[in-house]
Amino acid sequence: MSTPAPVPIQGEEPTIPLFAERPEWADVVPLEQYEGVNPLAPIMYTPVYKDATNYFRGIVKIGEKSQRVLELTEAIIRLNPAHYSAWQYRYETLLAIDAPLDVELKLMDEIAVKYLKTYQVWHHRRLLLTITRKPAQELDFITRSLTADTKNYHTWSYRQWLLAYFNDEDELWTGELDFVDAMLAQDVRNNSAWHHRFFVVWGCGVREGEEDRERVYKRELTYVKQNISLAPNNLSAWNYLRGIMEHTKTPYSTVKAFVRPYTLPIDPTSVDIVDLENPPPTKGANLPCPSAIEFLADIYEQEKNTLEAIELWTSLASQHDVIRKKYWEHRIRDALEAART
Amino acid sequence: MSEQDTQLPALSRAGHASHCFRFINGLPAAKTDLDPSRLAIAFYCIGSLDLLGELEGRIPQAERESWREWVWEQQAGGKHGTGFRPSPFMVAQGGPSAPPMANYAHCDTPHIIMTYTALLTLAILRDDFSILDRSGLLKFLRACQREDGSFSTTPGSGESDLRTLYCAFAISSMLNDWSGIDVPRATSFIALCRTYEGGYGQSPFCEAQGGTTYIAIASLGLVPSTFSQRLTTSERQKTIQWLLSNQHESGGFCGRTNKDADACYCFWCGAALKILGAGNFVDARALAGFIARCQFKFGGIAKAPGETPDPYHTYLSLAALSMYPPKTFDGDARPESWTFDSLDPLLNARIGTAVWARKYIPAV
Repeated sequence: MSTPAPVPIQGEEPTIPLFAERPEWADVVPLEQYEGVNPLAPIMYTPVYKDATNYFRGIVKIGEKSQRVLELTEAIIRLNPAHYSAWQYRYETLLAIDAPLDVELKLMDEIAVKYLKTYQVWHHRRLLLTITRKPAQELDFITRSLTADTKNYHTWSYRQWLLAYFNDEDELWTGELDFVDAMLAQDVRNNSAWHHRFFVVWGCGVREGEEDRERVYKRELTYVKQNISLAPNNLSAWNYLRGIMEHTKTPYSTVKAFVRPYTLPIDPTSVDIVDLENPPPTKGANLPCPSAIEFLADIYEQEKNTLEAIELWTSLASQHDVIRKKYWEHRIRDALEAART
Repeated sequence: MSEQDTQLPALSRAGHASHCFRFINGLPAAKTDLDPSRLAIAFYCIGSLDLLGELEGRIPQAERESWREWVWEQQAGGKHGTGFRPSPFMVAQGGPSAPPMANYAHCDTPHIIMTYTALLTLAILRDDFSILDRSGLLKFLRACQREDGSFSTTPGSGESDLRTLYCAFAISSMLNDWSGIDVPRATSFIALCRTYEGGYGQSPFCEAQGGTTYIAIASLGLVPSTFSQRLTTSERQKTIQWLLSNQHESGGFCGRTNKDADACYCFWCGAALKILGAGNFVDARALAGFIARCQFKFGGIAKAPGETPDPYHTYLSLAALSMYPPKTFDGDARPESWTFDSLDPLLNARIGTAVWARKYIPAV
């Protein structure tokens, strides 16, 4: 019977010899960390972390910037990706020794996906990109890391930063709407994707081929209406609808005919009609939809149709959105007050 | 269904206090990533004890004294001015040089978020701030502000977002001295972070998020009226609506549209609503019910039911409850366990602590 080969445990770092045991580090004086009397929230460091940080303090003290510093700071980052001083010193070292930054980015591809939620990982990447100025391959990397976590805030922020920073590079932007489509096809309730769509279409200048804003608005209106019709209870889509209307100063009342069917209980007798202008709710949708009721009430309020608005707010307060009962009651009081004066 | 129909369990105050003590006393190696933010952890723990009213009765004077001593040890001065470091994680043995204040070395500069939490922690511990280097602190703020009006975490690092801007504003407000920052430039940066949803993102172009929306609203609330940068009525209305839409049926708040509720957003969204004068629209009893379910049996509050508790979510949950104490009924397990002193939503501190900070932090 053969002994099974040891299986590496996921997430465990491969063991490397301590810096204290390595002859090539013998010339550096390691500096132990100071701890004051009765420290608050002291950490019971592992011997490996203590060893690496002892050598790091030693290196920073003498100000050495060399290839081996990259090895040392990488070791620390892998043990503690939030160690911002290690990141800072690593960055300074990269510049000082004129290290190849594409190699660094390659390494970061792996580290970033591992520590998606760490600020420093992304900050470091931004610093590198402002020097390499090669944003094109970054988009693929971001798309891949969003597969691991489709709503990761840092990852999305980085994509937006990258596009805005290289705003003039039109070819960088050409695939963005397709990218958003793919993300929304995966999960139509992904608000980060909806936000990104707003950013791409409205938030950061006008792209080539998008100069006719009237046409762009119509395209976006159709897009969001269709998405609402497929999944009516999706606040992200309703917010997008409001967003584009406010941005283009289009009155809410222009979509009244579209919104109304979503405010009513589902009609089991209805037949399938294809109405591209006003796509109806999909069969089996959970109706009425509170976001639609709120929208229609806003339309009525703008039209000074107070009674109808109040009726809708009352239904939200008592039935469809009870958690915000006090807010809807406040809207009713406000509207009555406004009507009186 | 009326409010009374669901019974509110007890808030395990003693358990939550014990959770914080455990963190104050020591963290396992698995928490090594907290090394560069230990002061913030200390703030969440000591702040929780403050909100629970457990500080003065339960902690001996000598121990509170030693906590203060440790926080003061993090104050350090140098070419970028003076502030607080997260911990001695970059200080070599031999200790801080030249008491009462250390000089910092390269890669060991003060951190603006840690500086804000240090001032609050010292106020909680009722320090008299006689050794605070006020002019150094103003110089530090100046060194952190960037061209676009935002602030770096440490001078020159370039890592900046709305969180650091709030810290600069809170520090200026506590000092009652705004000469360390260019306010108009900073407020125009805030405006750039506003999104079509009515909330604020972490940086320009980013998605609206509960935490950064609090940061934006609280920052605008802290600015003295002479700089007046108020929201328009319709902006304010839209922000209120967005914040309210984040309260789930579960009673908890989510941080972004269509995300799950998370206890920390009960504070971030709740406090922003409070500052905007819309706190009365929050369903406080549903909120308390959610936090009750986030409690860990042996102490501490987690981000969601069934998750691991931590001091950050514990503090922010207790802070949310301080602003939104639930209406209790006879049928509830222990109605008195849900009673709190009120909270200053702008500084994020118990009223007594905020008053102390504003009294002792400014120069005499």
